[in-house]
Amino acid sequence: MARIGTDEWVSEQELRTEYYTGLTAPARRAFDRVGPGPRFFAFLGICALFPFLTDSAFLVRVGVNVMLFALLALGLNIVVGWAGLLDLGYVAFYGFGAYMYAWVSSDQLDIHLPTELAIPVVVAASALLGLLLGLPSWRLVGDYLAITTLFFAQIFVELALNLDRVNLPWRDEPLDLTGGPNGIPGIDRMDIFGLQLDDVRDYYFLLLILMALIAVGLFYLNDSRTGRGWRASREDPLAAELMTTPVNRLKLLAFAMGAAIAGLTGSIFAAVQTGVFPQNFEVVLLIMIYAALILGGAGSISGAILGAIVVAAVPEILRTPDNARWLFYGALVAVLVATVRPWKRLAVVAGAVIVFGLAVHGLVAWLWPEGAAGESPGGAFAGLLDSWVLIPAENQETLGNVAFVLLVAAVLCLTLLRGDERLFLLVPTIYLAAFVWENRLIEQPSVTRQLLFGAILVAMMTARPQGLLGTPRVESPV
Amino acid sequence: MDFFVQQLVNGVTLGCVYGLIALGYSMVYGILKLLNFAHGEVYMIGAFIGYFVLTALGGASSPALPVAAVLILMFLAGMLGAGLLGVVVERFAYRPLRNAPRIAPLISAIGVSFFLQASALLLFSAQFRTYSTPELIPFSTGIEWGPLRISLVRILVISSAVLLMIALTLLVSRTRLGKAMRATSYDREAAAMMGIDVDRVIVATFFIGSVLAGAAGVMVGLVFERVFHFMGFVAGLKGFTAAVIGGIGNIPGAMLGGLVIGLAEAFTASYVSSTFQNLIVFGILIAVMLVRPTGLLGSPVLTKV
Amino acid sequence: MREPLLELRSVSKSFGGLLCIDRLDLTVGEGEIVSVIGPNGAGKTTLFNLVTGIYEPDQGEILFEGRGIVGLEPHKIAKLGIARTFQTLRLFLNMTVKENVKAATYGHTRTRFWQSALRTPASRREEREVDELAEERLAFFGKRLIGYRMEQPAYSLSYANRRRLEIARATGTAPRLLLLDEPAAGMNPVETHEITELIGRLRTEGGYTILLIEHDMHVVEGISDRVVALDHGEKIAEGSFERVATDPRVVEAYLGARAASGE
Repeated sequence: MARIGTDEWVSEQELRTEYYTGLTAPARRAFDRVGPGPRFFAFLGICALFPFLTDSAFLVRVGVNVMLFALLALGLNIVVGWAGLLDLGYVAFYGFGAYMYAWVSSDQLDIHLPTELAIPVVVAASALLGLLLGLPSWRLVGDYLAITTLFFAQIFVELALNLDRVNLPWRDEPLDLTGGPNGIPGIDRMDIFGLQLDDVRDYYFLLLILMALIAVGLFYLNDSRTGRGWRASREDPLAAELMTTPVNRLKLLAFAMGAAIAGLTGSIFAAVQTGVFPQNFEVVLLIMIYAALILGGAGSISGAILGAIVVAAVPEILRTPDNARWLFYGALVAVLVATVRPWKRLAVVAGAVIVFGLAVHGLVAWLWPEGAAGESPGGAFAGLLDSWVLIPAENQETLGNVAFVLLVAAVLCLTLLRGDERLFLLVPTIYLAAFVWENRLIEQPSVTRQLLFGAILVAMMTARPQGLLGTPRVESPV
Repeated sequence: MDFFVQQLVNGVTLGCVYGLIALGYSMVYGILKLLNFAHGEVYMIGAFIGYFVLTALGGASSPALPVAAVLILMFLAGMLGAGLLGVVVERFAYRPLRNAPRIAPLISAIGVSFFLQASALLLFSAQFRTYSTPELIPFSTGIEWGPLRISLVRILVISSAVLLMIALTLLVSRTRLGKAMRATSYDREAAAMMGIDVDRVIVATFFIGSVLAGAAGVMVGLVFERVFHFMGFVAGLKGFTAAVIGGIGNIPGAMLGGLVIGLAEAFTASYVSSTFQNLIVFGILIAVMLVRPTGLLGSPVLTKV
Repeated sequence: MREPLLELRSVSKSFGGLLCIDRLDLTVGEGEIVSVIGPNGAGKTTLFNLVTGIYEPDQGEILFEGRGIVGLEPHKIAKLGIARTFQTLRLFLNMTVKENVKAATYGHTRTRFWQSALRTPASRREEREVDELAEERLAFFGKRLIGYRMEQPAYSLSYANRRRLEIARATGTAPRLLLLDEPAAGMNPVETHEITELIGRLRTEGGYTILLIEHDMHVVEGISDRVVALDHGEKIAEGSFERVATDPRVVEAYLGARAASGE
């Protein structure tokens, strides 16, 4: 065999390729053989079938939300994932698009443009705004840009809340631009070339088509001169500039494009909701979009979509205790399976958790009956859980809060331990998590959602910065 | 004239608070080149701790100890609790990312901030808590001198803030720890090679910065009385703005920046309208960043190409 | 006498009171290989930064192909035909080997972003051309950077290959003048020899004019038409390698006054 580095080494590369082994090998090989194109089509096909598989308009609406998120994540991916610019004001473009669409399609300003005109106007205006807000990126890098853009997002919400009394010299009464805290209701439904979009299902398909087109367009864009320019600007702006890449102009382009996509998404959101309100565009939403992109993998188109699916679907599942429970315990099991290997260890841990729980429950029930006398909120396998998890009849909230703090401490300690010690602490930690869940979190979906997304951001960055579908990056020593 | 002086006092009080928060940001940025987004939440927790100590001691109307003792305990608890929180955050959310690209700890910081906000919401609910300061320290006590009328509370706040800032300046310029901190902020690797325990220095920096933020939290509770889970976000943003305006990494700059922001806010809110407060602050930020990106007192950083 | 490709006239540059380049005159004729030598801190990299537009001189002119280039943005100067490599490597580490070279063709391509997104026939054609160009540039270095290596991320390359890739990337900008900043840094004797030959081939096969910063005198001796010695921002000697190497001022700059006086 040739030595590393010689030309023979390079030419003998074929001899060193590894092949998949095991039961899943044929499937994995087939998956690899099929290119990204057919895979994407298959995915689109499943999405297209979805509205026909369910009668519930609510679920279709969830699908609409998922795709709104996917589009937003795709747009943010251009700015953050490819060009490497930390834009924390991205929601402002989304909100701007929504409000702009409201302005041209409602009674607020008495303008009712036909949809075929309204959408391009909104997209163009958003792109322009993106250019404007991207200008600071010429001078500011990294952290400074982040803070400035975050401020933009704040200002946007403030303007939306306060521009309901604008005094113009040529008008007697003040102009109500944004409807203040009540927003702008009564937005026209879309009507594209005679096709009326009334039903949430219509918007689902509109979004699906848009998502498909944009995803494909971005895919081509990534493997083109512009995409390479963006990525080179991220890798080393100085070197890129010296290799004929106009870094500043590309930064502006990234901002403008991300803004345009966000604006487009905003207009559809406005039409679906038939109204826009300042509360729709707060920082919470920004965190969620970032969580989606980071979780899925910044820089990856499929990652953005996957992350969006998770992030948009989770709050919906958390709404009802029934579904929420499946999610919680399912996620717990999934995490265990992914981290505790081999199977024997996993079985031991699982068994230990169950036994531990029963033991604690029994002990408390015997010594202090009120401690276990409470009832869980019902739902999936509630009866089973009642004899395992402790649900106190009194002081539920206080105990739950204390347990929450303990849980956070326990999880942090877990990151410090290794091997058997870690597994040892894992058992009571899981039980504690179930306790906190049943007693506090299951009833508070919005707080749980926020906790989850914050935790996802931290966990992803410390454990797997490339997300689920991204590729690990190497940074040049600075 | 009275009104003007009153706003001046308001502005200075606000400025002191923002300055304390800004100091934490500046110090951490100076050493780690990291924007600690979670700093605002540390401030919020400090305010809450002060509130709970007050309640535990009987509340504003019937404190179990003399007022001075109550105040001291509130401050101590708020500062220590905040300091501890800051240290924990550093250890688990930032230390693993010491050598990662800059974007990673930033995103982690955002995550921590969000998590802490949500935790506060869970533990304390969305209900506003009040310090009920007038029952503790009547507003009528204070100084009157011509047009100047400052209540005792504000005197207390301003003087303690000034004391803390002086203490910090002395710490950084006169003590060994301060020297180690300065060295680490210039060149972390070189400092490590000179025998400085960089981890300890970083922990100390976070602790001190968070302690100051905790103090600021209790002060805000005393002056403005309302404490709620979301207060950290905007205050953090403004505190950061103050740090940037003054020159991030620069300690006197942070205090100056705080004053600038505090005064700008007070005067805008009273002479123009409170809706434009944040807009003006933002405008100042943009102006400074475009005209003098390293801040009013900052020094330009030269990098070798 | 043909007009020089690159000309610096009385160029000076200070950084906050430190005079880095002091009234420097330098010319590089087309097809020449000129080496710049001097102790560390002599201002050699600053010279490169001035020529490529990262800094602007406080005084003096810089002419390329007879036209002044002072004040132009770096990417415009690069487009005019000046490319460089870096003392500390600055590759696009997370991009593939081929993409590194393709990225350098930005200034000479025309496809707009919407054409790329729609994958118009024109965009596909230009992509193919860029692809072929990149492969050509990589093939210049033998078999080391082609084949399966082209799709590997740049961080997977060995140090010597990274240096080669950086040169390949620079040639991707279709330059007339190549500025090589310590191309042989950190290389063992075999690799150094290869690099020396490579630089010669860059001139004969590639037709590039080369301005070279180098510390390794084997390389300088082996390849230069002319050598320029700098110290504290000033030109202290110029001429053939033999003349400059034995110039007492040069010896003093490197080894100190006692060595120069022959003790």
